[in-house]
Amino acid sequence: MERAKAFISLTRHRWVGAVVDFFEFIGGAMSLIYQTVRSLFKPPFYFGLFIEQLFSLGVKSLSLTTITAISTGMVMSLQFGIGLERFGGKLYVPKIVGLSIMRELGPVLTCLMLAGRVGAGIAAEIGSMNVTQQIDAIRALGTDPIKKVVIPRVLAMIILAPLLTALADITGILGGMVLSWGELNIHPEFYFHEAISSLTTSDFSVGIAKTFFFGLIISVTACYYGLNTKGGTQGVGQSTTRAVVTSCILITIFDFILTKVFMMLFERGFSG
Amino acid sequence: MAEDTLIEARNIYKIFGDKAVHDGIDLNVKRGEILTLMGGSGSGKSVLLRMFIGLEKPTRGKIFYNGQCISDMTEEQLVSVRKKVAYVFQYGALFDSFTVFENLAYPLREHTTLSESEISDKVAETLQKVGLDGTQESLPSDLSGGMQRRVGVARSIIMNPEVILYDEPTTGLDPYNTKQILKIITQLKEQGVTSVLVTHDMASIFSVTDRVAFLRGGKIRSLGNVNEIQSSNDPVLQGFISGEMM
Repeated sequence: MERAKAFISLTRHRWVGAVVDFFEFIGGAMSLIYQTVRSLFKPPFYFGLFIEQLFSLGVKSLSLTTITAISTGMVMSLQFGIGLERFGGKLYVPKIVGLSIMRELGPVLTCLMLAGRVGAGIAAEIGSMNVTQQIDAIRALGTDPIKKVVIPRVLAMIILAPLLTALADITGILGGMVLSWGELNIHPEFYFHEAISSLTTSDFSVGIAKTFFFGLIISVTACYYGLNTKGGTQGVGQSTTRAVVTSCILITIFDFILTKVFMMLFERGFSG
Repeated sequence: MAEDTLIEARNIYKIFGDKAVHDGIDLNVKRGEILTLMGGSGSGKSVLLRMFIGLEKPTRGKIFYNGQCISDMTEEQLVSVRKKVAYVFQYGALFDSFTVFENLAYPLREHTTLSESEISDKVAETLQKVGLDGTQESLPSDLSGGMQRRVGVARSIIMNPEVILYDEPTTGLDPYNTKQILKIITQLKEQGVTSVLVTHDMASIFSVTDRVAFLRGGKIRSLGNVNEIQSSNDPVLQGFISGEMM
């Protein structure tokens, strides 16, 4: 009985702690976004740091997002090809693959990959700087960590997430095309024509528009956890894990919310 | 505020969670002096030092620098103070992705209009002062702990500050590097620079410091010159100096 009580108390304590942490994160992240926007238009501007981040976050993530997109396109073609063949619907594969990659899988999978690679990298880097007092040193030397550390990363991610997603959309569809040609005997010309003709501008733009927000979520979450890292190397590890987990959860939640909002705004027919 | 006072801590209280670190501290730092803050671990020496440059805000009370209240300043307003008050971090806090040159050039590039060749000359001159000329292209990770500490000092003095705040400048260093750091502190005093040090390393600091403030229980328990501190009848202070009490 005592052990059960202790367990309930501990569980309740953990839940309360998690709720407090959650609201602390929401407040901290909002404050960080506010500070970022406020500092964005005030000199000095560190354009060089922004370019550096574009390269380090973008170019180095390119292979990861491209491979993910190609594999996704291929596996979807394979699965739908085999599944639909039973009902004689194999020729619908290009339309289904094109639509699902463009609207959903391209943006979400690319940004989940970015949350893992870039989010972890940013949180670990800023966290290490924090525990070794480099963030304090930036302040003590009369400069602003928001301008030096946060803004270049947030801006780079807001720009990179849509660019990498657009590329992932294309490579994903191409991956599906190669697989369909080799495994399902669907001619590439037919595949390409069917995939493209079934897509509308809003399919592409809704998918891409979501990634601006995902880029913001990934970078702000990682910067927040990095700047709030405490307790040495163990703290850096914890911040990195939290940044990735929180970003992934927020991306999946906001994917639904943003999809619904964009549908209501741009595709009223869907809402009935 | 007395005319020779450069920094003043007035009725400082600092509370972290449910722990009161400072419980009404009043302290003046005189222009041109070397003041040492000593006390046991957790006595709030480093927190007080961080307040002198605005890295930490008091829960209650005010910090004045040159008559200006800096504890109410925003980060933007503190920039002008931080050009005159430098901070030497315990382990240097060098930017580890930058070379030694880039670390030293950082404040010059941010706050001056010097050309790259002038910056290069200034960096070389400052590194020479701390006995590290020729290390410009090294990364901090290539240097020993003592050398990193001296690069940290070099980065702090490169803007010719009025005040330098040292957090444990000699802790964990070998006798050679300790001597080098103390030499730099003494030379800077001769140039009129005010220094505030936080340290446990009393044996070496007593040779250079003008005054010592002993923090205990959130207050300044003793304040005086080295002779006054060493000859004090306070058993707690004597116990701390002799290492018999924390």
